[in-house]
Amino acid sequence: MARLASLVIVLGLAALLLAAPPRETAPAASHPRPEQNIPTQPLAIVVNRSNTVDDLSMAELRKVFLGERSHWPNGRRITLVMREPGEPERKTILKDVCQMNESELKNHFLHGLFTGEILVSPKILATPVGVRKFVFNVPGAIGYLRLTDVDNTVKVVRVDEFLPEDKGYKLHVEVRLAN
Amino acid sequence: MPASAKYEAAQSPVALVSTVDRVLSAILRHNATLLLVLVFCAVAVVSAFVIRDLQTANAEAQNIYAVSVQGLRQIGELQFDAQETRRATLYALTTSDSNLQVEYADQSRGADQRVTDGIAQYLRQAKLPAEIELANRLTRDWANYLSVRDEVLADILEGTTKEAVSLDLSGGVPSFERVREDLNEVKRSYDDQASQRLANVVATSRRSAVRLIGILGFTFLLSSTAVWAIQRSRMLSAIQLAKLQMEFVASVSHELRTPLAVLSSAADNIADGLIEGKVDLHKYGTVLQNQSRQMSSLVDQILLFASTEDRQRRYVLQPLDVTQIIASLEASTRELIQGARFVLERHIDPGLPQVMGDLAALTQCLQNLIGNAVKYGGESRWIGLRAFVAPAEHYIGQELRISVSDRGIGIDRSDLPHIFEPFYRSPRVNAMQIHGTGLGLSLATRIAETLGGRLSVVSELSVGSTFTLHLPIVERERLEMTGVASQPNSSRQT
Repeated sequence: MARLASLVIVLGLAALLLAAPPRETAPAASHPRPEQNIPTQPLAIVVNRSNTVDDLSMAELRKVFLGERSHWPNGRRITLVMREPGEPERKTILKDVCQMNESELKNHFLHGLFTGEILVSPKILATPVGVRKFVFNVPGAIGYLRLTDVDNTVKVVRVDEFLPEDKGYKLHVEVRLAN
Repeated sequence: MPASAKYEAAQSPVALVSTVDRVLSAILRHNATLLLVLVFCAVAVVSAFVIRDLQTANAEAQNIYAVSVQGLRQIGELQFDAQETRRATLYALTTSDSNLQVEYADQSRGADQRVTDGIAQYLRQAKLPAEIELANRLTRDWANYLSVRDEVLADILEGTTKEAVSLDLSGGVPSFERVREDLNEVKRSYDDQASQRLANVVATSRRSAVRLIGILGFTFLLSSTAVWAIQRSRMLSAIQLAKLQMEFVASVSHELRTPLAVLSSAADNIADGLIEGKVDLHKYGTVLQNQSRQMSSLVDQILLFASTEDRQRRYVLQPLDVTQIIASLEASTRELIQGARFVLERHIDPGLPQVMGDLAALTQCLQNLIGNAVKYGGESRWIGLRAFVAPAEHYIGQELRISVSDRGIGIDRSDLPHIFEPFYRSPRVNAMQIHGTGLGLSLATRIAETLGGRLSVVSELSVGSTFTLHLPIVERERLEMTGVASQPNSSRQT
């Protein structure tokens, strides 16, 4: 009986291993760099226009996107806005800001919410327009948009003192191909 | 002379009574035209009022639609959009899907923008102080609600639903209730305006109907009166004309019968051999001569009047000296005046200017006036003849006046407006058995008017009368330009 139970456990583990998604490929392979001649465009970090924050360091940005920082300096609660898994913008944030893959991010938030270190999980929006409108409606919201999707309803913050148009700006996403 | 009356043939009168008489006479003569003009004027005036009322009612109706109805429609849309703003906000509470929440937030913001625009438009259109105050209050209350709504939306999107519900209950509901009451007040304001304007339209329409009925009744009444007056006037005119003609025939018959009777009896006496002596025969001859001349004069006068009836008689106009006219007049009336044992007193101013006229016609005109003076001169047996220059009354300049006065029975004031009418004979002189045809003054007036002048009369009962012939003076320059002055025999016809 014990042998049978051990066999079932082993088979289950084997099934889980087979059903598990493949590991993220190397970031360099999934997010081609500009130097690899793949067209990219800047990915802007956007906040509500009432937000007084204009500049964030990459370290602060990482804390924000990992939920480790919960409030803005003005006391307003930070609401994180993310695109759905698999979107190029999300991949850029995961790789360049969070330095995690999807599983690690998921586990990070599950752990944080369970332990109470993180208060609110990220809001997932399907479209750039949705992200923009969400950030517009929520004073404490922060999200990311391709520079071409940015308009004057949201405010773009500097990252490490660089604006998306500046040379040296670190966040880039591959250009969306027209269908 | 307070009791005297002045009257001018075919010209404006001086005395008030004469004016009234003339107006009444003109009305009687032109009653049909005057009544038609009166009816037309009345209809035109009332029609103008009715048209104005209709235009007012039309404008009010357009105002009702443009302001009240459109305003009510806009307020209805505002109320719907305000509800939509709140509804979409509350819908966001019903889902945890951030994408749907963003859609609802977007709908809420779209609706609130329409409400904000509508309130701004209402504020721009507000004119009365109460409307402006209401619009400002609505703007303020709506802004308060939106600030609460924004916080509620933010809480919903952040996922803090409990805080969102709490904030909506504590701030959103009361502020939205104030907005709703403001919108209801705006709606009541439009309702009141529409009711007021509708009442105006009803009042205007009622007034128009009353005026239309009034003008129709007035027109009917006036038309009936006009028809009656026209018929009556024609009947009276026909009766009067027939009466005048009968009187004229009787008068002429009488005027002819008397000399005819004398002629007949004289002829009978001569035929019967009753006249034997030369003296008697001469006496009878003179009688026959006088009577036949009298008959001839009467017939001439009738024929002359007939010839001037259509005003087509032609006169030979030439420059005439007053002395020439007076001399001709005296020659033609000497026998009449002497026969009646009247005295003719002349006052001819020296240096009188020439006048354009027909000597025979002027003599005939003045002869008629002298004849009347003899006929109605009474026992004083005095005739005044005066010629002088005086300022013209109806144009700028001067005119020559030749007046014939008597101190006889005078003319009754009521007769003055009629004495220049053909065939008119005063009842008073008829009663006094003073015979005549009623053509003398009418003929004199026609001659005066045809020659460019006029005839006027001033008379006082039992004191006397003065008839004046007014003639325009011929300007010396005109005479020289036409060469008439240098050619006394030259003439023209009129």
